[in-house]
Amino acid sequence: MNRLNRVAVAVARALAWLLPAGRRDWVAAVWAESQEVPPGLARLAWRAGGAWVLAREALMPRRLGRGAVFAAAAGAAAWAAWPQPTVGHAAVSQFHVIATVLLLAGLPLLARRFFGPATPSRAGRFLRVFSCAAILALMPAFAIVEAFAELTPKQPAYQRIACPFQGCGAVPGNSTGGPPWAGEIPLILMTIAYLGVILFLTSQRSQVTRGTLAIGAGTGLLFSVVMYAVAPLGLTNDATDPWLPGSKADPLVALAWILLFGGPAAAAALAARRGRAPGGAALPRNVRMGQGIAAGVLANGTAALFVSALGTGTTALMLRSAWLLRWLNHGQHLTAIAAYRYENNAGGGAAAYLFMLIWFPVIGLFMSALGAACTPLGRPAPRELTPVPATPGNQ
Amino acid sequence: MTPSPGFSAQTLSVLAALCDQPSQWQHGYALAKQTGLKSGTLYPILIRLADRGLVEACWEDEPQPGRPRRHLYRLTAAGLASATGALASAARPKATKAARTRAVRGAVARAVP
Repeated sequence: MNRLNRVAVAVARALAWLLPAGRRDWVAAVWAESQEVPPGLARLAWRAGGAWVLAREALMPRRLGRGAVFAAAAGAAAWAAWPQPTVGHAAVSQFHVIATVLLLAGLPLLARRFFGPATPSRAGRFLRVFSCAAILALMPAFAIVEAFAELTPKQPAYQRIACPFQGCGAVPGNSTGGPPWAGEIPLILMTIAYLGVILFLTSQRSQVTRGTLAIGAGTGLLFSVVMYAVAPLGLTNDATDPWLPGSKADPLVALAWILLFGGPAAAAALAARRGRAPGGAALPRNVRMGQGIAAGVLANGTAALFVSALGTGTTALMLRSAWLLRWLNHGQHLTAIAAYRYENNAGGGAAAYLFMLIWFPVIGLFMSALGAACTPLGRPAPRELTPVPATPGNQ
Repeated sequence: MTPSPGFSAQTLSVLAALCDQPSQWQHGYALAKQTGLKSGTLYPILIRLADRGLVEACWEDEPQPGRPRRHLYRLTAAGLASATGALASAARPKATKAARTRAVRGAVARAVP
């Protein structure tokens, strides 16, 4: 116990130096007060609590900390996604990087202005933070995969794999890069839609309850994990599900189908049935339907976003790392051309994530509307009132 | 200063403890015993209240022999006004709800012979 106390003393003293001068008195105050606490576990708990306070105070400028973390992450992602000079459509790709970072930095501020502050629920915070992280991670991953997929190989043998019919559009050794302007605008609109919907649903003005957010986020997380296990490298036959036996009737594949259609319906039914105001009062029928639809859209939307970030990230990592390529094909001897074919299939298969990003939330919307509509939402039972005995005062 | 609607239940309990003897300086451990809060909860509340000018803090003038000087706390004038208002408004909804329940019960009793 003495040793633990000494450790707590050392931690507190070390942390005191991290605090501004005005806060150091509080360190001394907690410490001096601990002498009054009975020795033993109680004193240790007091000091541990004091150390926790100090750690929090040392990290007090949270907004500053969050801003620094975001700036560092956005800077790293932008650096990784910034197009090489040899890549075509460089101006479009540069616009994509700048616009994505600006949207991630600016939309939360706009959302606060129009939708009010973020909901204090953990599920809401999780959704906001991880959605922003997923969009940020998608940016360099997408750029790497696009640059590879549009690369014209130098060797004719590789060109036969990469450009089988119409041929590649760039000089051998160069890449046409990401999409042109016509493809870029829908991508940016999709980013705005995802961020906007998540920021709205996790804001206080949306009236989406904590339970609904938790149900939506939980279902989406489960679906994204299953979907990632099924399709870690897009949806092509050659490059996907390296750990699955390859049968279309694999239980994991069946579970993914069930979650795609049944997940939002079940989440909607659950959220609509559990819909309660903060005070515990039952919500009107139309509000409960809204809660159900929000849960279903969140479930499929977050699943699409997370699995896209994970899958595109894995594909990009595999294209940059020979180690991952070998690990995914362990036990097999890959010739150089076989490895290239595998990478080419994975690069092409990553386009499937765009399909998921567009259609999963739409499926979620329809299935959740169906699920909420089929859920019996009877009128809440009136509270039983115990009649008070009649007294002269209330006759 | 108007009572802030942003006080948490724990902050209200600290304010209530400080309101018991508003002119007396109190120690952190005494406040912890009174409110049942752990040091990890109590001190951030005291720090925030001091930052807002609702609580003043000072060091003990004459420490007990063999003991370090202790930090003392009490409400400022603004803190006392704010705490009184916040505690009153925290108690008010309960009174209203109780009154409403009594009224409903009375109505039921009149309706059901």
